[in-house]
Amino acid sequence: MNAALEHPTTVQGLQRHKSPAAILRRLLKNRYVLYLVSISGLLLIWHFSAVNFATSKYMPTPWMVLKELWRIAHENLAGKDLLGHLWSSLHRVLIGFAIGSAVGVPLGLFMALNRYINNLVKPVFDLIKPMPPISWISLAILWFGIGEESKVFIIAIGAFVPALINSYNGIRLVDPALYDAIRMLGANRWQTMMEVTFPAGFPALFAGLQISLSVAWSCVLAAELVSARSGMGFLIILGMTMSNPSMILSGMVVIAVTAYLITVVLSKVEKWVCPWKVELPQ
Amino acid sequence: MTGPPAREVKVEVVGLTKKFGDLLVLNDVNFSVAKGEFLAIVGPTGCGKTTFLNLLSKLIPASEGQILIDGSEADPKTHNLAFVFQEPSSLPWLTVSQNVEFGMLIKGVPPGERERRLRSILDIVGLADCANLFPNQISASMEQRVAVSRAFATNPDLLLMDEPYGQLDVKLRFYLEDELLKLWRELGATVIFVTHNIEEAIYVAERILVLTNKPTSVKAEIHVDLPRPRSFIDEAFIDIRRQVTDLIRWW
Repeated sequence: MNAALEHPTTVQGLQRHKSPAAILRRLLKNRYVLYLVSISGLLLIWHFSAVNFATSKYMPTPWMVLKELWRIAHENLAGKDLLGHLWSSLHRVLIGFAIGSAVGVPLGLFMALNRYINNLVKPVFDLIKPMPPISWISLAILWFGIGEESKVFIIAIGAFVPALINSYNGIRLVDPALYDAIRMLGANRWQTMMEVTFPAGFPALFAGLQISLSVAWSCVLAAELVSARSGMGFLIILGMTMSNPSMILSGMVVIAVTAYLITVVLSKVEKWVCPWKVELPQ
Repeated sequence: MTGPPAREVKVEVVGLTKKFGDLLVLNDVNFSVAKGEFLAIVGPTGCGKTTFLNLLSKLIPASEGQILIDGSEADPKTHNLAFVFQEPSSLPWLTVSQNVEFGMLIKGVPPGERERRLRSILDIVGLADCANLFPNQISASMEQRVAVSRAFATNPDLLLMDEPYGQLDVKLRFYLEDELLKLWRELGATVIFVTHNIEEAIYVAERILVLTNKPTSVKAEIHVDLPRPRSFIDEAFIDIRRQVTDLIRWW
């Protein structure tokens, strides 16, 4: 037997350590415990309100939504299963995002680097900027029909604005001290641009692309809610016409999870392309 | 005034004058710096020290007068100038060693030579251990050492330093000043070191120029012929300090 354990103060110390309050304190310090409490709390409140309130006819329980998710993942809905619809939406997002940023980023860069271009483009851009991308939808349908083009157009407009603003600001807000430093070393204009302007503006530019992508994701849903034969927005509308709230909610869950995964992937990419933004753990 | 034996003149400043509109900031400044000399410039706060350095480095044009390096008009494109700023100015996206190498890269130093100088400087300043860290992962004093190393690595004709250690605590300053002297001795650079700290100036410099208040001109020139390492409690040191302090105090 360990002599130390028999010593009264030591035993008391161990007992104090095991008291319920101490255990609770330790549990509360672990953030994953609180995460779990938070999520299960939401599910519980959801479940009980779905079961007990009058609107429960249109409010499925979490379990029903989960079952519905399983069903639509394996069943053919208007020619596609869940993954097929998800891919339709993602496909539109990627095309629209590519077009929007391919126009927005270079335009923002040119505006930041050349004041003639800036003075030419800025007034028009300032008019377009505050318009919600969705407000273009009716025009887009009249112009391009209800096919892919009108949706891609909305997404491209949505992605274009943050891509331009951030690449513009990224270049404009470069620390002037960095310019002094490189000019003192006798750098020419080209070297200044390649060695200071672009690398210094890159994090802001990348942040703009992240915003663009999340805007693109919300634009695709809005566009699909208006008119579509596939995609996550279409699934939600399908759930509504079939009076199937479980289907609507499962669609919403998939949308949220996808958006979350996109953010996670992008922050990983950011760490990879801008390793110098990462601080050492203290 | 009697100076050390005549040395080859590296930098010559003739009648340098700067006006911002009607405001006369620098008035007919004349002095020269010998090759390999360590010159400190002290002056009262707000006397235009930074304007003075910006003129020397050609960041801003002079109103009148000339700055000659090796007999021809100074030009950052042809002469090899280097500047260490008050604020740390390392590029955040480059590692410590890439930052030190950066100046040489811009100046077009060939790769083999670049590598050799990089190694020797990192060794001298003891940054070899953190060569692969980024500036936001090191302390402010280390960042300033990176800037100093970057400047020395370019083998400059003239190295201008604008209160490089002004923001660091006293103990660290002494340490970095010793390191600076070591770099200067080993690489034989010509240095103009601007500071408002009189002790710092006496500690590092071979010669001190004292500036007047605005409009700035050179008020006096003091040779510091003390053996190194210098001591702050040495009588000769204190004597020079008193001399410089009086020059700055009485207009």
